[in-house]
Order: sequence, then C-alpha cells, then structure tokens
Amino acid sequence: MSCKEVLESISSYLDEDLKEEISVEMHKHIGKCSDCRAEFDTLTMTIKLYKHSETPQMPAGCHDRLIKTLEIEKMRAKQGGGEPDTNPTGV
Amino acid sequence: MAQELKALPDETLVLRAQEDDDRAFGELVGRYETKVYSLAMKMLRNPEDAEDVLQETFLRAYRGLKSFRGNSTFSTWIYRITANSALMKLRKKQLPTVSIEDADEREAPINIVDWAPGPMEQLLTLETRQAMADAIEALPAEFKQVFVLRDVEGHSNADVAEILDLSVAAVKSRLHRARLKVRNHLTRFFNDTRGQKAMGARS
Repeated sequence: MSCKEVLESISSYLDEDLKEEISVEMHKHIGKCSDCRAEFDTLTMTIKLYKHSETPQMPAGCHDRLIKTLEIEKMRAKQGGGEPDTNPTGV
Repeated sequence: MAQELKALPDETLVLRAQEDDDRAFGELVGRYETKVYSLAMKMLRNPEDAEDVLQETFLRAYRGLKSFRGNSTFSTWIYRITANSALMKLRKKQLPTVSIEDADEREAPINIVDWAPGPMEQLLTLETRQAMADAIEALPAEFKQVFVLRDVEGHSNADVAEILDLSVAAVKSRLHRARLKVRNHLTRFFNDTRGQKAMGARS
C-alpha cells in the first residue's frame, strides 16, 4: 500500500469504515511510515479537538424573541394571512 | 399539562401540532432551539446571523408543518431546514467562501509536523479554539455543512446524508476533504505558535 493510497482512505480508516483487510494494511503502513503516522495522528487529534468544542449558548432574550416571532406568525395564520409553506426545507 | 407534553415523543407532538395544537409545537421548539442555534452558530460564527437562522428555521417549520409527512424524523427535518437556511445566509452575505472546485486547488504544500502527541487538554487553549473556528470559517459552505454536522455536532454519516439530501458516498468524500483542510489549517497554526514561542525563548 502506497502513502497516496493511505492518505485517500485515511478518513474512512479513522471512522472504522473500511474492509478489514484494507484496515490491517493501513495499520501496518502507518506503523512503519513516519509521514503517514503524522497524517494519522494530526487528523485523529483534529477530530478529537472538535468533539470537545463548546456548545454555543443562546444569548439572553433570544428564546423570548423567537417565541414572540412565532406568536405573531400564529396570529397571522389564524387571520388567514399566512401562506402554508409546501417546501420548507428548500431542497 | 406541560408535564404531559414533555413525556410525548416527537412524532406525537408533530401530529398534534399539525392539528393546530400550538402548545405541542411550542414543546418541539423547546426541544430543538438550542440545537438549531448551535448548528447555525457553528456554521455562521455570528450571534445575529445565528439568531436569524433560528427564527427562520422555526417559522419555516411552522408554515410547512402540514406538508411534513414523516418520511424522515422531525429532528432530521428541522436540521435540514437549519442547514439550508444557514447555507442561504452564507451565500447571501457573500462571506469569503471558496467554491468546492477551488477548494481542492493545491494549497501550498505544508510539512505535516506531528503536533498531536501529548494530552489534548494541553492543546485546547483559547487561541486553539479561535484557530478551530477560523478553520471552519475558511471551508467552502458545502464542506462546512458536512464537517459541522459530522465532526462538531456528532451526527453519523448516514444522518448527515439524510439531513443534506446527499448520498453517503458524497458525504464521505466531502468530509474527507474538509478534514484535511481543517487539519492543515491547524497545522499551520501550531507551527506558527510554536515558532513564535521558540523565538521568544531565544530572545
């Protein structure tokens, strides 16, 4: 297995999403190639760092403003003003 | 009553909300508002924009509720609306994003120095968090969606595919490219900060 092949599959390797025989090959390669080892280590740490990102908190008043917006929309809908959205996801 | 709503699964709340039970819809808002805000904030990195997306998402959900057929779960549906609203926002603001095609143009080759050994806690400084957010911001919008959903919010490849209406193969391919770009960004950051520290130590 070449370094190029290792690099192409490294993301799936990290996700344990490869056939076992390929995974074993990758493991062997990374064990003896310092460049690919660095690729593997830094990618692993990158993913680990983001797993520990903080969840952004909603600012004060944000929830109340949302509820108010929805209240206005409900009133509009009840007065027959609002158009139903048939494609809300926009896909 | 509120207690009773809390115990109900999403599907039941959706059915009730579709029959104009506003309290049921309110319960769904309560369940998902922080998640929606968090996803928007991670993609847009600006509290006002994230709040716009939050409002837009629930307005669109409210208006479109009757067209929701339960082909996916409510959570997938609401994340899809969020991810698309955030994408529209990114495009409208014309933030300095790169197209997917340009993104794979060869970056200046960087020497991958292994900055990873050692405990994660040591790496996770305030400056690192800043660099991590910068790295996401530098991604093309379509990569940003996939990376944030998968590696920041922790959804599976299959869920991300469903949320973004992509094939799993497309998700994996974008994820791979996004991860390499983000890692390269962090590598440059660690190379720079360590270089500066070394210089400081010498003087």
